[in-house]
Amino acid sequence: MTAVSQASARPLDQGENRRRPYGLLLVAAPVLLVAWLVIWPIVSAVGRTLFQRSDEGAIEFTLDTYLFFFSDRYSLDNLTVTLWTTGMCALLLFVICLPIALYLRFSAGRLPAYVQSLAIFPMFVPSIILSYAFIRVLGPNGMVDILLNAVGLPKIRTPYLTPWGPVIGLVWDNIPLTVLILLSGLGNVSNQAIEAARDVGARWGQVLWHIILPRIGNSILVALSFSVLGIFSSFTLPYVLGPAAPEMMGPFMQRTFRDVNDPQMAITQAVITFGFCIVFGLFYVRSVARNQGK
Amino acid sequence: MKRREFMLAAGAVAGATMLPRLAFAEAGRIDWYTSSDSNILDFWANTVKPAFEAANPGVTINLVDAGDGAGVLAIAERAIAAKQTNTDPQADFFESADAKLPSGAIDAGIYVNMKEAGLSNYSKVNPLAIESDYSLPYRGSQVLLAYDSTKLSAADAPKNWDDLITWIKANPGQFIYNRPDKGGSGGNFVRRAIHQANGLDPSLFTVDNYTQEFGDEALGKAWAILSDIAPSLYDNGAYSSGNTQSIQLLAQGVVTMVPVWSDQVLQAIDQGVLPAETGLVQLQDLALCGGFTRSIVLDNGVNRDAALKLADFILSEEIQSAILTELGGFPGVSWDHVSAELRERFADIVPNTIPTFPSGQWDTAISDGWYRNVAPNVDRNA
Repeated sequence: MTAVSQASARPLDQGENRRRPYGLLLVAAPVLLVAWLVIWPIVSAVGRTLFQRSDEGAIEFTLDTYLFFFSDRYSLDNLTVTLWTTGMCALLLFVICLPIALYLRFSAGRLPAYVQSLAIFPMFVPSIILSYAFIRVLGPNGMVDILLNAVGLPKIRTPYLTPWGPVIGLVWDNIPLTVLILLSGLGNVSNQAIEAARDVGARWGQVLWHIILPRIGNSILVALSFSVLGIFSSFTLPYVLGPAAPEMMGPFMQRTFRDVNDPQMAITQAVITFGFCIVFGLFYVRSVARNQGK
Repeated sequence: MKRREFMLAAGAVAGATMLPRLAFAEAGRIDWYTSSDSNILDFWANTVKPAFEAANPGVTINLVDAGDGAGVLAIAERAIAAKQTNTDPQADFFESADAKLPSGAIDAGIYVNMKEAGLSNYSKVNPLAIESDYSLPYRGSQVLLAYDSTKLSAADAPKNWDDLITWIKANPGQFIYNRPDKGGSGGNFVRRAIHQANGLDPSLFTVDNYTQEFGDEALGKAWAILSDIAPSLYDNGAYSSGNTQSIQLLAQGVVTMVPVWSDQVLQAIDQGVLPAETGLVQLQDLALCGGFTRSIVLDNGVNRDAALKLADFILSEEIQSAILTELGGFPGVSWDHVSAELRERFADIVPNTIPTFPSGQWDTAISDGWYRNVAPNVDRNA
């Protein structure tokens, strides 16, 4: 079985046609777009922050804006809260989504179908609507408070305008993508392998640890790096639900650019944000490359 | 039609609708931009636009929300660039803008000189509101304090700054203002604190007297006042992210008092967002800042003449009365040009003085300084 799947994974044009450039032409458009809209802005941003015009008008190499960022308590606090939010979201996403994906993979019938549509639902809710719904439900004197009050319980400590506000919103927003990727990874786990393991007396925990997790390690990495990339630079949810300070990098960059009128510093923040994101991006690229190389 | 052909045709049609539509300014369509809140946009969409289009057949207004002041500035910068290359700026009218910004705009010649433009209603404009010959004050609004009168009686409502601070500290968690760059109600509350810290003298601050030393000294004293009350604010120092969010917190009964724009709060009460018994109070020692909203006509816009007609139109008695009755703002024309009946009915909200605060570099300094000095210095978990 493995032999078959390996053979089909090879490119189809292994024959005499392979030197023709059609394949390259097909990928040319996206590659050019990426080069123009992604690679070039990155190069330009890095260049503009490293080579600045000095007071005399000459362009010279400088690390001033970076030195300012990394010596400025306020900027560092913002970076820290962004890393904290991202890490917390990744952890919660893993803890919440893995059981959902396992349930969907190993059960049949009508109920899992409903669970799946419920898990995918957040994908269709724009984040600005989610933010206001969040305020109405979890906000002060919101629906949860009203329900608790009706049964004589005290109000909750609302996460609105605290760092937990964006965390809850972002986790909810990212559940669909994570569940879908984990689910596709769980497709690689064959029922036979699990049955064989159970036949020799493995418990559920052992099956999960020795059979399932090793097989979906890649999917977990991909799912988490995808959500992390989105969360790190998110804007709407941290802006509406988060505290005024420390703020996440998304609102911070936007404010520096528009309200503080300091594009140079905003670009520096963007390059630093990009530096963190590229680490997760490399994880993803590496795992894809490893998959292709198999 | 064969299935394959059908798919191709359907794909082509679907693709064509998704192509980016290139925007070109059209003759007879005034490209209009605002940085104001949605209540102003609604007012234009429902009141000004239909009335103007009915009075001027063949001319339409394209209402565009530029988001905030920085959004309008970006369009103005585009107009300067367009002027230099002699191209179309795709903008004719700014509902709310500062003629001094972006710096050099007047010298670049992109704004029409309103005084010399020959507007028939220009002489009616309230002389106190005129800041520049290049902008047209057409409506005013002021920040005041709105409170829940079921929790605080009108007799106990604070009437001056010291009483307000005492009240905030005596009632922790019952007051919130929004981040100063995200809406004028919180922004002008912060500016009122700056006035308080600097001897209640608004004339100390002008649009071009910002220097680093003066700014640090004058604003530093205000940050001390604001940091002092921070632990007594809602949730030990939380700040809402806009004018509307503050009103929402007041409406949900979470806080007792918030600073609000006069026009927004009157409209909120009118629409039932806030209960009718919401109390309004203005500080008597020095009012919270307010100001006139000034419109600008772009000199190099394709529809310059139609836009000037619109500028004249918004000073007409019809629109100026609507600003009072429908918007809850106050007129940009002198009080004598408003009907006697309205003059009497709105005597309460018409202020005697409207302290103002200059924009320009002060804006940037206040916004950045507040975020750095006031917002973080609180242990929220304490």
